[in-house]
Amino acid sequence: MAKMSHGDTIPLHPSSQSDIDEIENLMIAGPANVLPARPPSPPRASIPVSSSPFLPSNLPPPPPSAPAAAYHKAPISASPPDAAYHKAPISASPPAAETSRGGIAADGFGSLPNTLTEPVWDTVKRDLSRIVSNLKLVVFPNPYREDPGKALRDWDLWGPFFFIVFLGLTLSWSASLKKSEVFAVAFAVLAAGAIILTLNVLLLGGHIIFFQSLSLLGYCLFPLDVGAVICMLKDNVIIKIIVVSIALAWSSWAAYPFMSAAVNPRRKALALYPVFLMYISVGFLIIAID
Amino acid sequence: MEEDYTSLPTSHLLGSVPAVAAEDKTGGAARESSTANLQNSPPANGGYQAPGSPYGGDEQATSSWKGACSISSYTPYFNVDSDIVVDRLITSVYPMNDFTRKIDGNPDLYGPVWISTTLVFMLAALGNCATYLMRKRNEPDIVWNFDVTYVDWAACVIYGYALAVPVAFYFLLQYVGCNASLIRLWCMWGYSLFIFLPSSLLLVAPVEIVRWIVIILAGAASSWFVALNLKAYTDGSDLMVLIVSALLLQFALALFIKIFFFV
Repeated sequence: MAKMSHGDTIPLHPSSQSDIDEIENLMIAGPANVLPARPPSPPRASIPVSSSPFLPSNLPPPPPSAPAAAYHKAPISASPPDAAYHKAPISASPPAAETSRGGIAADGFGSLPNTLTEPVWDTVKRDLSRIVSNLKLVVFPNPYREDPGKALRDWDLWGPFFFIVFLGLTLSWSASLKKSEVFAVAFAVLAAGAIILTLNVLLLGGHIIFFQSLSLLGYCLFPLDVGAVICMLKDNVIIKIIVVSIALAWSSWAAYPFMSAAVNPRRKALALYPVFLMYISVGFLIIAID
Repeated sequence: MEEDYTSLPTSHLLGSVPAVAAEDKTGGAARESSTANLQNSPPANGGYQAPGSPYGGDEQATSSWKGACSISSYTPYFNVDSDIVVDRLITSVYPMNDFTRKIDGNPDLYGPVWISTTLVFMLAALGNCATYLMRKRNEPDIVWNFDVTYVDWAACVIYGYALAVPVAFYFLLQYVGCNASLIRLWCMWGYSLFIFLPSSLLLVAPVEIVRWIVIILAGAASSWFVALNLKAYTDGSDLMVLIVSALLLQFALALFIKIFFFV
């Protein structure tokens, strides 16, 4: 395999360098003497960090169970998470060790029968804990915000799906007329919007990973979800405007580093404007629906 | 050697995109296609792919077309920076005819796409506000109701107009023998819609005479912009009928916006 020395024009983030070192050490030392910090999630295709050549990403080793089985299980457990997810941020989720995924060289997808036989609650808990950890990384202040590639290594689409559907449902509940049109418009705007925003960055010559970006834009809807719930309970226009403005600012703050790092600095405004447009239009929908 | 990478079987690596290290944007002269190619996942050697070969010259459309589903075939149309876009927006407001010269070398589709999307949103939102304010003057006890169908109508009308009218004019111009470029027509019509954005803000005022003045001025400016640029584009050949019809169509759009959204 000929690795052409292209010379990184973008210097590696310090945390990325330590990741690379960690992975190299483990590849040399072998995976036998490292235990995963938490029950590892099912394996998936490795996702390259955007600012360096393709390297195995910092994922825990695949558990001994088939990767496909876990994903087939997830749809069955769709309804409990919807109710359970509300208490997930408050309940004691698996310890903070989940953010330190003991970096182990991804040695492919071995035979993994355990997720077929594990209890459904384990699968659900694992997906929920991933959603919560991604949420914490994206929406709340944390030390990894400067390196957007690290923020959502373990991206998933369940979180964004829940948030989009929840926002659509909340708006639909709040509406007094034409409830189904309201849900349709909200869902279409958010789902198509996430895809179009990602395409926009790619077309401007930016470097992002398609599904990671979809995932991030979905997670950044969490503040607007909270705002929508508050607006549903309180019907005063002034309060709604204040709450939605705060939620909007929070969402934009969450999405800003990722989007602005993805493109050439001269095109930053071009990449960010559609993000603000989408959040402002959703915010307006929240205020206007009554 | 780089071209071989795209034919390797890599569908099992769905979702990952090869990293591109160097991105030299030297004044826009050398164009590098984005390697974020959704169809072709990274090759089996680990996904490293050197930056695509720079394209020189002007007409990139034919040479860089990798198929309708590949992102990199559309990136030449989004090769603009923020300041260039702002400059084009300002030029569109004052109907001077050097807009055609500005977009000639580098027509972009970023402007038309996002101007029309912004316009759809603003018409739906401000149209609701304006209709509510106007009705409140006549019947003081009316209740605020957000009519979501405004979004549907705005989307259909604006996107339909911005997509279909340039296509129609493209075919008409080809028919009369004038060599036309669809991208430039889309670009021009897209930027011509920009003036409706600030004017829709002004149209919220619930005074009927103000609304009519605003929309007539905005419609006139926009139509004049379209007519002037079409004239400069067709460059001398006497196609007054086409130009006048473009002008009237744009003005009709302006009137429709006023009558439907800002009752």
